[in-house]
Amino acid sequence: MNRRAFFNWSVAGLAAVWSAVGIAVGAVARFLVPSVFYEPPQNFKIGNPGDYSFGAPTLLPDEKIFVFRDQEKGFAVASAVCTHLGCTVQWFASDDRFHCPCHGSIFTANGEVAHGPAPRGLEWFEVTQARDGQLRVDKSRVVPASYRLVVKA
Amino acid sequence: MISISEVYRSIVRRDPLSTEKGKAELVFLNLWLHIHPVKVKKENFRIRHTWYLGFITFYLFLILVGTGVALMFYYRPYPAQAYQDMKDLQFVVFMGSFLRNVHRWAAHGMVICVILHLCRVFYTASYKKPRQFNWVVGVVLLLLTLGLSFTGYLLPWDQLAFWAITVGTNIGGYAPLLGAKIKEVLLGGHNVAEGALIRFYVLHVVVLPALVVLFTMLHFWRIRKDGGLSRPVWKLEEETTTEGLVQIGSAAASPPRNESVSAASNDKTYGLMEVVTGSPLFETVATEQVDEEVFSFPFAFYREAIAFLITLVSVMAISLAWSAPLEEIANPAKTPNPAKAPWYFLGLQELVSHSAFVGGVLAPTLMVLLLLAVPYLDSNPSRRPAARKWAIWIFTAFMLVNFVLIIVGTYFRGPGWALTPPWVHVAGHE
Repeated sequence: MNRRAFFNWSVAGLAAVWSAVGIAVGAVARFLVPSVFYEPPQNFKIGNPGDYSFGAPTLLPDEKIFVFRDQEKGFAVASAVCTHLGCTVQWFASDDRFHCPCHGSIFTANGEVAHGPAPRGLEWFEVTQARDGQLRVDKSRVVPASYRLVVKA
Repeated sequence: MISISEVYRSIVRRDPLSTEKGKAELVFLNLWLHIHPVKVKKENFRIRHTWYLGFITFYLFLILVGTGVALMFYYRPYPAQAYQDMKDLQFVVFMGSFLRNVHRWAAHGMVICVILHLCRVFYTASYKKPRQFNWVVGVVLLLLTLGLSFTGYLLPWDQLAFWAITVGTNIGGYAPLLGAKIKEVLLGGHNVAEGALIRFYVLHVVVLPALVVLFTMLHFWRIRKDGGLSRPVWKLEEETTTEGLVQIGSAAASPPRNESVSAASNDKTYGLMEVVTGSPLFETVATEQVDEEVFSFPFAFYREAIAFLITLVSVMAISLAWSAPLEEIANPAKTPNPAKAPWYFLGLQELVSHSAFVGGVLAPTLMVLLLLAVPYLDSNPSRRPAARKWAIWIFTAFMLVNFVLIIVGTYFRGPGWALTPPWVHVAGHE
């Protein structure tokens, strides 16, 4: 091996080591993305059907959902989180609509955007009846607004 | 036996301050003072040239570091404790509420002073050659200041903090492609919860202050390298068209360079550091005294000390008169109505109330890019206000739009973000 070859190999070797270090450092950035979330479960029970009255929806503030109970059609669960910037919407019985306090978005009782900056309607979540008779909501399963759970009395 | 004077001499090696050499050595033999030139132009320290806004911003930052470190002795960044610690600081800890007030008002003051400083630099055209890059550093410092304010806003963990940060981080979620990921990394989760609190805390007390210190050092260094504090040269140019001084380095382009003087060598530049009287360390260089220059000690230091004193006393007085607000404890289940971001982001919130993507991502990104590009977009070499009417009009309009948006967001938005004048009280909302 002559001087020039040795020099070239050295440069190549150093470049390889630096690249490896660079990739390793870049991979460490993944460290910032959490691997585990200590957050409330997406799938939870919300009590017995009898706990809910007919008519105006019931807000479960911790779960951030509205539970609708309809005389004939049954149960439906809507998200209470505004699709705009995440504030909790409020139900106004005066006009049968959801109003967002942050930026004035208004949603109809079907969750559709009636007014304001919200880019899309409120989400509806799947609600089923667990074996023990309680209602079970799964926030990871979004369903159409027409979805209803009919509970046998 | 070592005498006291020997110990003193080992620490302070300069000549007595009664001599010119001592005054010069005070500056250039001292690590903390040598950011100053040994001599300054009297003209540069006139209040109406800079209003000392850069100094005041820096002093407020020092006050914020001091009070912030003090608050850290009591504050625990965990939702169950954070709010209780705020209450302790407010009612139990000796001087706790005073220190918190100083920290809060100094923070607001710093945001205001950074913005006013930006305006001053623009209106005096101080971003022009050779200071283009220092303007960019300044804009980065503005963004870091806003970042510090935003991360600090969450720490009290009250309703205001919680919902301001919920809205703020959801705006980040609208960024294209990476939006959801940015939000997840920023919050350490999907909601504003303990993960977000510790992340904001680390950003607030370590990461962002460290960046501010680094960029401030660069900012100050470049001021020195770019020719000292900026002054209205167009006024001076009217008085004397040619300055009888040798130009050093790649200095201003304005007066055409005399070829016989410039460039002894193409790859080296020489600088004469300072000329003082007294027995020399190296070699005697004689030059004519520039009469408008004075020693930094005491001329500049005195003025800086007064500016610091006024800053500190003002913040302390404000803190005695007004307390930093603290609402009820953060309640993720109940959004206050209206929920508002910190005032400096209310212009943004006003835009966001029309469209989250355009107002929350597109407009602020364009605004920042526009600010960063100012020295490169403005190709007009003149610093004379009369010769740059368009630049002044555009900048004034830009600032005015932001100002009006903030005023509307702050005072004219009521419950449900409805347009409500501040003198109208809407019943039935809290």
